[in-house]
Parts: sequence; C-alpha cells; structure tokens
Amino acid sequence: MGQFIQFVITRATMALITLLTVSLIVFTLMELVPGTCAERYLAFKNTQGSQITIADIEAEERRLGLDRPFPERWGKWVYSVFVHGEFGDSCILRLNINQLLADKFWISLGICMAALILSYAIAVPIGIISASSKSPVTNNSLRFVSYLGLALPNFLLALIIMLIATVYFGESLTGLYSKELRDAPWNLAKFKDFMSHAWLPVFILGWSATAFALQTVRALMLDEIGKLYVTAASARGVSGARLLWRYPAKHSLGPVVNSLGFDLNRIFNELPIVALILTLTEAGALLFESLARSNDQQLAGAIIFLLTASIVALNFATDILLALIDPRVRRGMMG
Amino acid sequence: MFWRKKATAGVDQAAKEAYFTASQGQLIWSRFSSNRTAMIAGWALVLMIVMGLFAPFLSPYDPTIAGRDDQYENGAPQLPKFWDENGFSWRPFIYATERERSMATNFRWVITEKRDERLYMQFFTRDWDYKLFHLDYDLPGDAFDIDVALVSSNIHLFGVEGGKIHLFGTDASGKDIFSRTLHAIWTSLAVGTLGVFISFVLALIIGGVAGYFGGWIDSVLQMITDAIRTVPSIPLFMALAAFMPDTWSSETRFFFISIILGLIGWPTLARRIRTHLLTERTQEYVLAAELCGAKPGHIIRRHLLPSFTSYIIVDLMISFPYMVRSETALSFIGLGLKDPVNSLGALMQNVSKADVLLNYQWYFIPVIFFIALVLAFVFVGDGLRDAADPYSDTKK
Repeated sequence: MGQFIQFVITRATMALITLLTVSLIVFTLMELVPGTCAERYLAFKNTQGSQITIADIEAEERRLGLDRPFPERWGKWVYSVFVHGEFGDSCILRLNINQLLADKFWISLGICMAALILSYAIAVPIGIISASSKSPVTNNSLRFVSYLGLALPNFLLALIIMLIATVYFGESLTGLYSKELRDAPWNLAKFKDFMSHAWLPVFILGWSATAFALQTVRALMLDEIGKLYVTAASARGVSGARLLWRYPAKHSLGPVVNSLGFDLNRIFNELPIVALILTLTEAGALLFESLARSNDQQLAGAIIFLLTASIVALNFATDILLALIDPRVRRGMMG
Repeated sequence: MFWRKKATAGVDQAAKEAYFTASQGQLIWSRFSSNRTAMIAGWALVLMIVMGLFAPFLSPYDPTIAGRDDQYENGAPQLPKFWDENGFSWRPFIYATERERSMATNFRWVITEKRDERLYMQFFTRDWDYKLFHLDYDLPGDAFDIDVALVSSNIHLFGVEGGKIHLFGTDASGKDIFSRTLHAIWTSLAVGTLGVFISFVLALIIGGVAGYFGGWIDSVLQMITDAIRTVPSIPLFMALAAFMPDTWSSETRFFFISIILGLIGWPTLARRIRTHLLTERTQEYVLAAELCGAKPGHIIRRHLLPSFTSYIIVDLMISFPYMVRSETALSFIGLGLKDPVNSLGALMQNVSKADVLLNYQWYFIPVIFFIALVLAFVFVGDGLRDAADPYSDTKK
C-alpha cells in the first residue's frame, strides 16, 4: 500500500511538472503575439470614438502589470491559475475568462470524451475479432477503413455529411441547440434538444479516433495472440470468446489504456475545425474566434492550457488505473 | 517470397546466392515490390508528383486571377465528348456556352450550353507563359530572393479552339479548378516536404543528443518533448499562425507555415530516435569505436545513424501525410495559405458555404485528390515499414 501511495505521488509530481512546462510554453506564445492586451483594448476603445494617447496605453499597461519582467508575469499567471484557478480577463471581450469558458469548456470536454468512449466501444470488440479472424477479406477491409480514418480527416467528413444532408434531406445539421432554447437555462427539454444535436459532433470527432484505436487494438492483439500462453490455454480446452477475453485481450488492453491521453489529444486537434464547420459555440470555436478574428491571447492561452491540462489529467488517471490493475507497472515505476 | 520458394526447391542456386549477397536496399526493394497495394500506391504517388511538377504544362489556364474566365463563373465541369445526338467525331469536343442575365432569369447570370455549337479539343496549344522547375520566392530581405527557372514556355497539353475548357469547372471568380488543383498538389507537397525536413533535422539533433548522452540531459529533453507532445497541435498551430500579419506576401506565409509545421512535428520522431540510440549505444561496436578514440559526433553520424536509416525513412514517410493534413486543415480555416497560392486546403476554403453545398458541388473535386494523396502516402509508408523490418517474414 505504501508503495502504491509513493507511486501516485511520483506520478502526480510528474504531471505537475509537465503542466508547468506547458504553462511556460503557452505563456511564451501569448507573449509572442504582436501587440499587448493594453494596446488592443485601447485600440478597441478608439473605434468607439474616444481619443487614445501613448500615455493612456502606458497607464493601462501598468494597471494590467504588463510593465513587469517576463518571469514575474509568468509566475503570477501560474500562481493565479494553479492556486485560484483564475485565468484573468479576456483582452477583447473584457469579460472574466472563467465565466466565459465555464459551460463551454465542460461541454467541449463532454463531447470529446463521448467521442473517445464511442471510438473504443467500437474499436475494442472489432479489433479483437479482426485480430483473431484469418479471413483476408475482413482484414483488408478493416485496414482500408482505418487508413480512410487518416485520409479522410474529420473536417472533410463533416463537410461531406453536410453536403449529403443539404442535397438529399434539405436540412443543415449545425449548432448544438435549437434556436428557441439557446439562451434558456438547463432543464430536461434543453438537455434533450442538446442530445439530439450533439450526436453529430460526437460521431464526427470519433471517426478518426475509431480508426486509430482500431489499428492499435488490432496490432496489440496480434502481438499477444501468437504467444505460447494462448496456445497453452487453447490446448487445455479453453476456446472461442472465453479464450480471447481471458488471455490475450486482458494483456493487450494495458497499452491501450495507456494511449488514451494521446487519443484525446487527437480529438482536441479536430475540435476547433469541426466546431467551425458545424457552427458549434463551444471552446474549440471560441479558440478560433479568439485567435483568428481578434488575437485575444489571454483567452487563447487559457483554452490551450485547459485542453492540455485535461490531457495531462487523463494521462495521470490512466496511469493510476493501470497501476491498480497491473502490479507490474507499479513495480516497474518504482525501479 | 519468391527467393524462398526457389531456394527450398533447390533449383536456382543463383537466386539463393543473390539473396544472401544482396544489399539492404535490394532486399527492401524486393520485399516492397512484392506488396501489390504499396506498389499501386507508389505509382499513384509518382503520378501525382509528376502532375504537380508539370502542373503549368498540364493545366490549360493560369491558376491565379489572371487566368480567370469571366464568361464562365461558377461554371459546371465540362467533360470532353466523342459523340452526341448530332453525330460522332474523332476529335473530342465540348459545347460552347452563353451567359445571360435578364428578366427571364430573375436577373441572375445563368449559363446555358449551346448544344449545336461544338468546340473541338486541341493539343499542345499556346496560352499563358509559364516556367517549369521555377523557384521564385520574395522573402523579406533582398538577399534571400530566389528566382531560378529551367524551362520557360507557353505550350500547354490541351485546350479548345475558340473558347475555354474547364474539366473540373470554375470557381466564383472564374478560375479553372483543374489548373488550381494541379498547382495545389505541388504546393501541398512542398509545404509537407519542408515541414518534414525541418522536423527531421530537429528530431535528429534533439533525439540524438538525448539518446546518446542519456542521464540528466536525457531526462530534461524528455520532459520538454513530452510537454510539447501533450499540447494538442492544431490549437497550437492556430495560435502560431495567428501571428502572421495580413501584410505578409504569400511566399512568406508559405515558409512560415512550413516552419511551424516542422517546429511542432518533431517530438514523435525524436522520441523514436532516442529510444533506438539508447538500445544501440550499449552494443559492442560502439564501445569499440569509443576505445579507438572516436568523438561522440563521429560515432552518432558514422555508426549509430546508419544502423537505423531505414526506420528514419519510414518514419518520415509516415509523418508526411500528417503534415499535409495539418496544412490543409490550417488553410481550410483560413489561417494557413491564402488565395493567390493554391494549396489543397486553400481550395477547400469555400466548400462549406451553403451556396456551394447546394449548387456548385464540383468545388469538392480537389477533396478527392487530397484523399488520394494522403492514402497513397499512407500505403507507401506502410509498405516500406513492412519491407524495412527484417523480422517481418519470420513473423508470418
């Protein structure tokens, strides 16, 4: 038990270090965007009719603490993010980022996690079946499908689905809510409405992920299935699904659990673009807005950091889960 | 495998000999060429590269706004025919078109085909001037400007007499989608190549240092690599691409995008190189070289790298489609390459508009080329991986 706690602590420290490194990268990027928050805000005010001078900009910079040296500002940002969970104000919108993001981030994360679960719900059984089947037709068609998952990126799939939907059904499958419910508080009706719209982004985001997961599961199963303990088990008279589940599948799923974090990473990659095509209003689309339209570095930095943090959290969770299931991992970690 | 059969039959001693004395390259090639899917993909890839290389010759019209056909905007694809109700012709032909805007058409431009007026196809026609193998980049700073061309001509493979032919139709400003697609293939390949090259150099240096020296250097580098690998790359691309001021020329954008792709793409390869080096460097031949007084740089370059060149090539091949895909995604959302430059992503920029979805579906034709390009790369990469793995046939 003591060993396990030690393992959890090591892992948690490592996750924290990764997060700090990521925060440094993200913060540096935010700094590199030409123009500071103060300039941008005042430029916006300028368009509203008030005259802005250099002195005003400098005063605003001082107010925002932008005249301090870089390490100090990074430290402050990290402190407020890690200790208070506070990302500050958005440059352009002048709103608190936490308020702006709260709902949207959780919805995005929910959609992405649903896509991840969907992809493995499909990939694990099919991958196991395809690895154990000898038929070349099954194998080749599965290979083709998984290649197509790479060659047909999610945003193209979204486009094609939209093309078919508009041409044949005369409907555009966009948005996350119906018009009348967009600003309504959450209740059963809104939830139902949300679910009736959310299946499409979940399916589209899950598309490439399924293809990748299928490849992973199949390759791992193929490695395990040829091993002697499987032959031994089948010699003892275990056969069929029971043989597959009890022996090779159990062993090959360990590495699969380990790669979940990277799968989530891949899904996040597709999120902004799919969100844009389907005109969703969650974090991905907000990221695009804040970067492409307005150069809002505070908001963009917060979103990238949150996305990465959820990947790090998932990696941490899967590591712990693996250690719980598999004592070898625990011991391997302790050296 | 062919040599196996012959060798076990004991008939062809020469073939057996050839197998044992063959170089690694020959072995890889013979294994690769017996993989039919990979070979087909390989030929498709070569075909597309050649198409991209000779794009100006193959495309009948200038892909930029200069080559627009103002009489045929948003025009449907025109496929050459050999016969119709008016009889057969040895020379393929298309119909002349006419544009009309009047009360009858609700004051919108409507294009009609004139089925009685044929335009015959011609080959090796003269049209706009172009340069083949042309490098012309206007980078910031005069010293970096490049302008080299090998062939300069105005002969094109085909055209029609007394009109224009648009095999894949035209876009909203009358630019020929066929010509644009061919040029776009080349641009996308070039961005991918440059990106892969940059990430390869970075991966080689970082992975090489981490793997060779090990210890705390390795730990620090691994930490950084892992952190970069955790950040989702497309959002990161978007953040970096947003730096680009709108005033930059299309060439500068092109280089900037390639550099970003390269800067973000290296961690996976670096990790593989590191892992491989860590296992290789404890081998005896490395110790022997060290005892002879060879320097670390020399050992990495002359002894360790050649031991896994084939893996590196395969990895580069596999990472290529990811580069092309990222570029396409970036350009698609308008953060990457923009209009005067034709990349596959830039061509897809307009396809999500409702008008296009409903009325002008031929905008989707470049998508087919994109899918074909990526699939070809994936199949070739896969074939190479199987061929380069020395244990691949003992497994089966």
